[in-house]
Amino acid sequence: MAQPASIEVPVKASGASRVFIKRAEQFGLIVVWLAMIAVFGYLQPATFLTWPNFSTIFGSQAVLVVVTLGLLIPLTANDFDLSIAFVMTLSSMTVAVLNVNYGIGIGWAIVAALALGLLVGLINGLLITVFRIHSLIVTLGTGTFLHGFTLWMSDSMTISGISSSLINAVIVDRLFGIPLEFYYAIGLAAIVWYLLDYTALGRRILFVGRGREVARLSGINTDRIRIACLVVSGLFGALAGVLYAGTQGAADPVSGTSYQLPAFAAAFLGSTSIVPGRFNPWGATVAVYFLVTGITGLVFLGFSSFIQEMFYGGALVVAVTLSQLVRGRQEQQF
Amino acid sequence: MCGLAGAARADDLSYFEKQIEPFTKKPEFVAPGPAFDAAECMKGKSIVSIPVSSANPFTANIEKAMQAAAKKVGFKFTTWENQGQSSQWVQGMNAAVNQKVDLIDLLAGTDPRVLVPQVQAAQAAKIPVIASHYNGVEQSAEVKKYADGDVPIDYAKAGALLADWAIVQTKGHMNALELIATGPLSTDSMMSGIDAELKHCSDCKTKVMNFAVPDWGTRITPAVQAALLADPTINYIIVIYDSMSQFVTPAVTITGSQDRVKVDAFNGTPFVLGLVQQGAVQMDIGENLDWIGHALIDSEMRRVCGLPLVSDPKIPFYIFTKDNAKDAGTPPQLSQGYGDAYVKGYADLWKLK
Repeated sequence: MAQPASIEVPVKASGASRVFIKRAEQFGLIVVWLAMIAVFGYLQPATFLTWPNFSTIFGSQAVLVVVTLGLLIPLTANDFDLSIAFVMTLSSMTVAVLNVNYGIGIGWAIVAALALGLLVGLINGLLITVFRIHSLIVTLGTGTFLHGFTLWMSDSMTISGISSSLINAVIVDRLFGIPLEFYYAIGLAAIVWYLLDYTALGRRILFVGRGREVARLSGINTDRIRIACLVVSGLFGALAGVLYAGTQGAADPVSGTSYQLPAFAAAFLGSTSIVPGRFNPWGATVAVYFLVTGITGLVFLGFSSFIQEMFYGGALVVAVTLSQLVRGRQEQQF
Repeated sequence: MCGLAGAARADDLSYFEKQIEPFTKKPEFVAPGPAFDAAECMKGKSIVSIPVSSANPFTANIEKAMQAAAKKVGFKFTTWENQGQSSQWVQGMNAAVNQKVDLIDLLAGTDPRVLVPQVQAAQAAKIPVIASHYNGVEQSAEVKKYADGDVPIDYAKAGALLADWAIVQTKGHMNALELIATGPLSTDSMMSGIDAELKHCSDCKTKVMNFAVPDWGTRITPAVQAALLADPTINYIIVIYDSMSQFVTPAVTITGSQDRVKVDAFNGTPFVLGLVQQGAVQMDIGENLDWIGHALIDSEMRRVCGLPLVSDPKIPFYIFTKDNAKDAGTPPQLSQGYGDAYVKGYADLWKLK
């Protein structure tokens, strides 16, 4: 997969126009997001334009933000991680099984879940680099294996009764009216942003993603970089699982896997914004909240759920298409 | 959907309380038909059951109960293990026809509408195909277009009880979210039960929200929280399948609506009974899976033995609240808390020694 390069647009335009086009692309999603808020606010001023509504929007998507952040690290290095939602489900189930069924303290249960995430990431990375198998195939296989493992360890049952200290730390306790999980997600986004934009490792990851062979010939240990990316992705999947368990106070062996496609959608939608043409954490975070704002507004207006699905899919296609038009329809090779 | 004109006064809750009352007591065994010598007439017979998915604990445990009941009677009962794929159901149907079994059971969602050629093949081999725990009592005619018979559940009553409870809790001024998942016939049946009760309440209404099963994890929480914020007068959430409730309770918490909005649900899934114990869900209507297993076997044995068929297998519902949810165990277990009246009831009905 070659990422869409953020090179100058080959269009016949003046310097000022080019800057305008670049800024429009960079902040287009945010502008559309704000415009959408304005429209919904105009239509439903008494309920939509309220702090409880925005605090709810911000406080409810942390799990998806963390999964998306986890995905975009290997994506930057040109690897897919299709196992991340399964790692998330395994992690939440590990927390539940250890804490509820075996009475192990919530702290240790979380440590075990995170360790499992790291282990899965390491296995993915080793299988991909040692045996030279495409990441798509390896992570599809490990993800499916983990799904079966999670069903086995839970006996296909949902487990409730997770320690209230985790629930409190995730959705009950608030800062400025927003559940704490929002701040965890934003903190992780900031870490990923710093990693990718301000460290030598981040530049190497990008280099490996843009041209693996060139990077290798330049002396970068591409295998080690790719393994590291998948390990971090596993860790983020596990962190998302901990937040998922804390959000619900329960864990089930199936529902977490439905986060896979929305996370990819947010990662690709985010790559059209803030740093267009690159998977970037702030773009992905904005994309998640853009999508949930749209869905919330549509619910406020009384639309049925099928309209929400159409918005979700339609927004992704429209945003990426517009981005491509602005950038002169460069070929995307995923 | 709104309550119709001419309904009972909002403050007259006696009708609804009367509906609920029988289901707050431990279920009693009611024989679905006359007693018969099951061991004698089932000698040498066999049944194959294809559950909607073996990974689903609900159906997996009903299968175990059916297996145990068959063992007590003394005939061969086989479960066709599968992961919910229709191609696996097809394989199970073909295998059952090849083995010349005496009856094929499609359990709790194995959809005869997508197995038309296989059902026809079974019928050609004179093997009846029965859809069990799949549809409401009033939907039997619809199912019989695709299968030879059914063992229905009174889903409409379950829906009615959910509405009755919410109406009583809101003192006849219910403004509820009604969370459904269209597709299974049981959804239509439960919704019809809810609608029927709304006609008895002049100041009650529901707003229906439909979520496809694969989307429960990602869609229910944001949609419910938006609905709660959009309409601050919502005071109840009716959840027709209780496994949805794990995605509903976070929405109630995040929006800070715990005091004004309560939740009731149907199915008696153990983790939801745990939520009832914690107070996150106010009421859950349960079915004893072991009882269901016995009831399905009873109906199907009557068919294999050539006895008069029963239209209602008399599978009882039981209402769990914070007061009695502890009877289901800590943590709650499948089939616990319902009493064991059915064990002796079926032993006598089948004339087991």
